[in-house]
Amino acid sequence: MEHVREVDRPVVLVVEDEPLIRLFALEMIEDAGFEVLEAANASAALMTLEERCDIRVVFTDVDMPGSMDGIMLAIRIRSRWPDVQIIITSGRPWPEEAVVPADIPFFSKPYRQDRVLDTVRKMAA
Amino acid sequence: MLSPSAGSTASGVIERSEALTNLMVLDTPEEQSFDDLVFVAAKACGVPVALITLLDTDRQWFKAKFGLEARETEIEHSICQLEIDTGDLLEIVDLTIDARTRRNPLVTGDNHFRTYAGAPLVLRSGAIVGRLCVIDTAPRPAGLSDVERSMLKALARLASENLELRRIAMASERQTELQTALVTLGEVIRSSSNTEEMMAAAAAVVGRTLATDRAGFGIVDHNVETIDVETDWTAPGITSIAGRHRLDEFGSLHKSLVNGVPIVVRDALTDERELVNRDGAVRIGIRAVVDMPVRDQGRTIAVFFVHCGNPRLWPTEEIAFLRSAADRLEAGVARHRTEQRQHIINGEIAHRLKNTLSMVQAIASQTLKTVTDRNSVYAFERRLMALSAAHDSLLQTSWAQADLRTVAETVTESVGFSERVKLVGVPVALGPSAALSFSLILHELLTNACKYGALSNEVGTVSVTWRVEANNDGGFLKVEWREQGGPPVAMPTRKGFGSKLISIGLVGAGGVDLRFDSAGLAADLHASMRHLGQA
Repeated sequence: MEHVREVDRPVVLVVEDEPLIRLFALEMIEDAGFEVLEAANASAALMTLEERCDIRVVFTDVDMPGSMDGIMLAIRIRSRWPDVQIIITSGRPWPEEAVVPADIPFFSKPYRQDRVLDTVRKMAA
Repeated sequence: MLSPSAGSTASGVIERSEALTNLMVLDTPEEQSFDDLVFVAAKACGVPVALITLLDTDRQWFKAKFGLEARETEIEHSICQLEIDTGDLLEIVDLTIDARTRRNPLVTGDNHFRTYAGAPLVLRSGAIVGRLCVIDTAPRPAGLSDVERSMLKALARLASENLELRRIAMASERQTELQTALVTLGEVIRSSSNTEEMMAAAAAVVGRTLATDRAGFGIVDHNVETIDVETDWTAPGITSIAGRHRLDEFGSLHKSLVNGVPIVVRDALTDERELVNRDGAVRIGIRAVVDMPVRDQGRTIAVFFVHCGNPRLWPTEEIAFLRSAADRLEAGVARHRTEQRQHIINGEIAHRLKNTLSMVQAIASQTLKTVTDRNSVYAFERRLMALSAAHDSLLQTSWAQADLRTVAETVTESVGFSERVKLVGVPVALGPSAALSFSLILHELLTNACKYGALSNEVGTVSVTWRVEANNDGGFLKVEWREQGGPPVAMPTRKGFGSKLISIGLVGAGGVDLRFDSAGLAADLHASMRHLGQA
């Protein structure tokens, strides 16, 4: 896949296994003026992160097939690419004893588009 | 009367020992009722010494004594044991002549026993446990008179009756203690939040109540070959046996447990059935054991065990207590398992439900892409959020009920006006359906206030207050929505979906008053508590 670099638009990576919800998130973020990339699971997301050094925000689901879930992905990104911002969303309640840093924003599904977009904008700024 | 086989028979000894153990009287303190009997016996027969003698296997022990210091003597020096199994009154008019007693230290020594008469203590079961005897320290060639003999027999019957009643009173007192312990056990089971905590607490209650050394609950495998002890209670200084064990390490427990028969062992080292093998018993430091099988659908699934480092009798009421304890514990374990499973299922359902709502959001977003009236699209999305938020509140209590305030806070927060909406009211539990209705109604009122009412400017506020008013049907809930400081409001000309939704009410049967006051919108919602809890 060939990526067209557009210097003006911050890049957001959407990680979500459910195609319909991924499509929805991609359009929502793209319509808000961002360049979007997509991944259907955590390992695909890590590969994309390896390839692209211009990703500013990763917006990830928690429950996904594969050996790594969204929370583990967030921890990996934090240690490997500390400058990349992370937003987590899930249909499950936020785990009480979360192992992820407390400053990662969490949105319960279904989320309000305006709130997610506000956060994405703040992070990409 | 002076038969050569003067002592008691072997079967008599066993029967007596059994009966005495059951009476639970040996080595107990003196009691007035028995002391009175020996006093009366001595005075009635005009002698200086009277005793209530109980014949233990290796000693004679005096439950009551008049005119004698000793509390017990060796069985060999017992005059009372002579001819005991005949069940007759024994009278020896001159102990210094009788071949069986003339060398007895009680006769040759300072006690100076000369004449003896003892009536047997016969229990209702027929077991003879000892004698009530009178002893003269002076020779009495004529022996007792007929009246004296009758009185001695009568007093012996009273003493026997007293022993039995004493046992019944003790059992009933014990029964009360055990009942109290069962109540405590019930509380422990109810209040524990997980199986391990419950088993540990229950084992402690049983262990302390029975004053044992170790108590616990072990799950047996399908073939009843191994037992898994997660946690056990032990008295200070006793080691735990937590872990997995093969049942045959402890003895031939398999058959009884498979058949659901409790294993009751007074002393593993002398038990002839050898249910518990001696090596196994020594290894885990036990002499007395009860293994109470716990059954489920005709199968033994667990064992409640009680261990004692010393031999001990297990009275029937204690076995019954263990049976009840084991049953309650099993019910508690089953309840915890169900709850745990239910909790997981609830979480899974909630997760899927929320994913489904996300899909609806995604589909709607695609489908309504070309709709130019964006407000309708947003309104749809917000209603979806309100529904989802109500589900979150319900999930916290496993879909049983939701607290009204929690629902109100979640919805208010999702709309984004928490600081301008004041919530005041007592805790009220809403049933699942009422919680969903309430969250949707509140959401409509809030969005309406955002568009036209108190929240549409910078200064307006809303107060939501609720209270429960008494009536003869379990009370009813009254919720008051009041807007202040907004622009002037007027009755809307068209009735949209929002106002229809509001008018359905909390329990789907109306109960909604809307007033477009000059101060702002006022809405009163009411519903009976009975309907709210169930709906």
